Amino acid sequence: MDGGLGEADWKVGVDIGGTFIDFCALDTRSGRVASLKVLTTPDDPGAELMTGLTLLTEREGLDPRAVTRFVHGTTVGMNTVIQRKGAPLALLTNAGFEDVIELARLRMPDTYSLFCSRPDQLIARDMVFGIPARLRSDGTERQAPDMAVVADAVAAVKAKGAMGIVVSFLHSWRDDAHETAVKEEVARLAPELFVFTSAEVWPVIREYERTTTAVLNAYVHPRISGYLSALEGRLAGRGVPARPLLTKSNGGVMNAAEGKRACVHMLLSGAASGVNGAAWLARQAGEPRILTLDIGGTSADFALIIDGQAQFGVGEMIGEFPLHIPSVSVSSIGIGGGSIASVDGQGVLRVGPESAGSTPGPACYGRGGDWATVTDAMVVCGWLGHSQMAYGQLRMDAGLARAAVKRLADELFRSVEATAQAILDVAVSEMFAEVEKMAARAGVDVRDFALMPFGGGGPMLGVFLARELGMPRVVAPRWPGVVSALGGLVADLRGDFVRTLFADLSPGLMPALREAFAAMGREGRDWLAAQGHTGAAELRVVADMRYAGQSYEIETALTPEWLDGNDPGAIADAFHAAHTRLYDFHDPDGRIEIVNLRLSAIGNGPALHFPTAPEEPHSASAERSVPVFTGGAVTPVGLYRRADLQAGARFEGPAIVAQEDTTFAIPAGTSARVDAHLNLHLTFAE
Amino acid sequence: MFDRMKLQVLANHARSAAENMAHTLQRTAHSAFVKETEDFTVMLLNRRGETFGVPMELGATWYPGLTYGRAIDMIEDYRPGDVAFTNDPYSGFVATHAPDTHLWKPVFHEDEIIAWTGGHIHNTDMGGAVPASLSRALTEIHQEGIRFPPMKLVREGVFDEQILRIMTTNVRKPDLNIGDIKALVGALNTGERKILAMVEKFGKTAFLDGVDALLDHAEAQARDILRAMPDGRWEFADYADEDSVTANPCRLKLTLTIRGDEAVLDFTGSDPQLASSLNVPSGGDPRHTILLVGVYYVLYTLDPKILLNTGLTRPFTCITPEGTVLNPTFPAAVGMRSLTCARLRSVIFGAFSQAVPERLPAAPAGNNCIVNVMTTDERTGSRIIAAVNPVVGGGGGMPHRDGTNGSGADAAYLKNTPIEITEMETPVEFVRYGLAADSGGAGRWRGGLATHMAFRVFSPDTRITARNRDRGFFRPWGVLGGRAAGLSDMVVNPGTPGERRLGNIDTAVLQPGDVLDIRSAGGGGRGDPFTRESWRVVQDVARGYVSVEAAEREYGVVIRDGVLDTQATDRLRANRPAPAGHFHFGPEREGYERQWTPDAYEFLTRTLAGLPIHWRFFAKTEIFSRMAGRDGAGGVEAALAEVYARFPEMPPSKALVREAAE
Repeated sequence: MDGGLGEADWKVGVDIGGTFIDFCALDTRSGRVASLKVLTTPDDPGAELMTGLTLLTEREGLDPRAVTRFVHGTTVGMNTVIQRKGAPLALLTNAGFEDVIELARLRMPDTYSLFCSRPDQLIARDMVFGIPARLRSDGTERQAPDMAVVADAVAAVKAKGAMGIVVSFLHSWRDDAHETAVKEEVARLAPELFVFTSAEVWPVIREYERTTTAVLNAYVHPRISGYLSALEGRLAGRGVPARPLLTKSNGGVMNAAEGKRACVHMLLSGAASGVNGAAWLARQAGEPRILTLDIGGTSADFALIIDGQAQFGVGEMIGEFPLHIPSVSVSSIGIGGGSIASVDGQGVLRVGPESAGSTPGPACYGRGGDWATVTDAMVVCGWLGHSQMAYGQLRMDAGLARAAVKRLADELFRSVEATAQAILDVAVSEMFAEVEKMAARAGVDVRDFALMPFGGGGPMLGVFLARELGMPRVVAPRWPGVVSALGGLVADLRGDFVRTLFADLSPGLMPALREAFAAMGREGRDWLAAQGHTGAAELRVVADMRYAGQSYEIETALTPEWLDGNDPGAIADAFHAAHTRLYDFHDPDGRIEIVNLRLSAIGNGPALHFPTAPEEPHSASAERSVPVFTGGAVTPVGLYRRADLQAGARFEGPAIVAQEDTTFAIPAGTSARVDAHLNLHLTFAE
Repeated sequence: MFDRMKLQVLANHARSAAENMAHTLQRTAHSAFVKETEDFTVMLLNRRGETFGVPMELGATWYPGLTYGRAIDMIEDYRPGDVAFTNDPYSGFVATHAPDTHLWKPVFHEDEIIAWTGGHIHNTDMGGAVPASLSRALTEIHQEGIRFPPMKLVREGVFDEQILRIMTTNVRKPDLNIGDIKALVGALNTGERKILAMVEKFGKTAFLDGVDALLDHAEAQARDILRAMPDGRWEFADYADEDSVTANPCRLKLTLTIRGDEAVLDFTGSDPQLASSLNVPSGGDPRHTILLVGVYYVLYTLDPKILLNTGLTRPFTCITPEGTVLNPTFPAAVGMRSLTCARLRSVIFGAFSQAVPERLPAAPAGNNCIVNVMTTDERTGSRIIAAVNPVVGGGGGMPHRDGTNGSGADAAYLKNTPIEITEMETPVEFVRYGLAADSGGAGRWRGGLATHMAFRVFSPDTRITARNRDRGFFRPWGVLGGRAAGLSDMVVNPGTPGERRLGNIDTAVLQPGDVLDIRSAGGGGRGDPFTRESWRVVQDVARGYVSVEAAEREYGVVIRDGVLDTQATDRLRANRPAPAGHFHFGPEREGYERQWTPDAYEFLTRTLAGLPIHWRFFAKTEIFSRMAGRDGAGGVEAALAEVYARFPEMPPSKALVREAAE
């Protein structure tokens, strides 16, 4: 797609975050890499994207007509839920079970509080309509849907002004006939309403999980759909020939037509793209096991990459609601650069969870914030503020930071510097607790991992956190600020499919497994074709299995050949091994249930080659020395420019590495090396 | 002295160590009780065996103030790698019923014990008279399973096989018990490793000082909360519907005295210990964690930043006279103490509600009913024993929000099982699972709605057990003009000629086609319901939470054809005086207390306290059976006289003898 437009062939990844929209672009012909951050425009999502394209054209010479791949991750779906700006909806479900979304799974967070409560539902109870209808658990029909009641419900829905309907009936994972029949009836009675059935969104067993996932999909559908249409129009207006691809919560991408319908698959795409980008970088840097750390203004996200692959989970939160399609597993804690430090009634220093966010932001931003934040503590210590930040869009006022921290210091009767250091120590210890917990859940020891910090704040605190966790190494990419955008740029097309089987693993089940695999394989290939994919399709199959009586499944990767024949032994062995890895024991005599068989159809994205340079060891020289409060005293610290650090460069901490999208704080006892991909490798003495 | 500026760092490391232990245990445990119900705890203990760190996300909520000191001291000569254990409720008062098995492990640093790790699991069964070892009908501890006094389970890293064999011989599901116990030992090892890492990071002296500082900090936080409360003395009583199969009420009475930054919780006046398993074994410890669970909820609700550790308990002193339901003597049965503990929490909530009425909610439903089904799967012919959903009620109306529906408050840790999963695994078919209209106490802020569940069975002689059934007579109370909530109930085949009301009976036998219908109580209301904005009432009616009739009767809101009738509403609301009194209990309790007045109870409990312990429950039961047509202290006195006439063997009550002498 370069016909006569010159030499360039641009691949562009764009990711919208809370504060910034990030760009990562590669011209495959010249090897030129361009990155950029632009402040978001919350009142007109999408406008900043065009601003960014203009800036890339002006600064980097990007020709919109030479953009052959455009991958976009957006938070518009997540924001729709958080801000409660989604579509007014109704839910049709079995009579007697109308409270399915309110009761959820009963248990609430914050179990020690008498005020613990559930969020207001996305569909209030008066918009839930019970339809006499019932399938038994074996799929046989006890009672057909009462279409007269459906008609009454639809009339009420229209009168109350809903835009769409979610249809969810018990056991539809097994047979969606009731849902389909009611959907058709609704379409006949009210063609102006959009309808999603729970089985078409994600047909898994467990009525609450399936229903809430369908509700989320419907809730964000009109806004996402509208946003994507506008995006397509804007890109076309700029002459961009590529049709946009959207990043998904599974780390893959899909086209816009799919995105308008399967909206729920986009909800966690930002975090997933970050992990996907980190996994790509980790493979490139030769690191098999990575803990990612992405720190923004209000939160820190962590994820594990094992054998170069992101990990998956279900039940991630979209605002206050869990999403039950497999998504890249990311743990989050409310500590970021904008987290506010305070002193409690007993004189104990705390950090977060309150945050100054991006507006007004840390005191040092000079936008009217006067709380002392983590970023202010970094400025007071001297780690930050030696160069322009965020591509020149932020300025640091050390005086304001100092004044904010001093107010706390006065309460604590300590020096401003010691207080700032304590703020950093507390913030890091909060992250420490979160990572340790995540590692305990996953059954891994993070000391076997390298830390990869990214986001604007990851490099600020990443090295401190790695040391607190006893991790041996830190690996940082060349452009930590745009890893999510990079993750989209390099992503594969990826469609996920599921069949709930809920049956004992036995020779007799094998034909059903093969049948499910074949059917999903067909769906997967069709899906890839619909995305315009012409290359080879990779089919990955996993089974969600458990011992009978357990209530959580373990995801076990299967080799398709294991489905051949009538011996389930290989599948059982894989499950026993997975159980042992995670839970330290297995039960060779235990009855194994396969709850779900899942398939991912993957169409490889472009094999992109970023420029490399030979790694010739040399010692880097600091631009200058700046005073930093570290290790209890003010110490001269070398300030390096990332742009000056060539492959093979080496230097020792303490050091600061400044670049346009972030700043690294590197304490004493650290050795730094730059590899051929310009990744920064930090190792610790001891 | 630990640098207080860094205390939060130490607190985070301690919390992280405890969360690590919890995840290790939950990952590696075998039984559903531990893995899914999360009936377990893990904790970090200081040198004296006092808890200084607990997980916040996993496990039960009862033990942040537990101290292992008494049990630790019952064993001598700990060595590295040792793990000790007990499940005996009467040895050291660490375990509170026989299924709860507590383990503890010394953490050595240079030949010195600098801390301990500890925790408990609820074993599925410890043997004894009934499966699962729990039944209200049991009367002495020996029926409730095998008991191990504090002893070493692991010696220098090696399990004592003799102990495991004894346990295997005596319990019904030995593999589950031993699997869970080994998982807990793994968690204690994790905790030990994390503590040693903390010692390395902070230094031994700083670690020890820091642990003390964490306890001091929690104590200071608790004292701050108390200091912010007015000084004063508040009395409150609440009842469990039934004290045993005899089915007289069981009354818990609390006199709360707050003075400055300290509080005394005097439970004198509570019922004598029971000839059922509803006793709560506190050992009379004035700061026993099981007595203070309601206090933890109050403190955490008032200050969510509070650290949960033993320091919290220091400003509190509980008085529980020996031989009463909250301080039973050996060998009283204690297995079903969870039912009484729910009432104990509501008594504490009621007392604090009077101290700080503006800051606490009305009563939560307070009956966490656990339903089990034993039936035959007609498809396979196999016997099935399965837990169906817990049926729990709503939270009480809050100061600025309605009570949580169907769970919340002190029941928020419970989980349900999807209908689709239960129907796949167990041959039952649900008829409904949802919220019950009109079950939340009316109020300016409405109480949370009750859960209403019904299911059909298909096999003859299907046995149901529904543990912790309560609140079928005494309603969750409302406050500040708010009304008491709806009652719980259990009915077989409702609305049919064969309808059978089971009330608080906690077992039932069902035949093919029978439907069991269980409803929890709701949460109490808060504030005058006639001041609830009418749009909220209209919305509640639209949502099916409140009926049109109840809207008019309870809220004074008139709705005609789905539309608010403003004039009729204004008229109705204008003509009603504001409700008086702090509490609303409902007609059942009001009626009961016309007979059983405070004076009557004062006389009764004083009289019973003067009898030898083994006579008290007998005497209570005999007096109750002679109260028909009587009321007040005089009525009790007359009934007592009849009891003495019938049972001349009964010794005179020392209390009455003393009074007579004065």
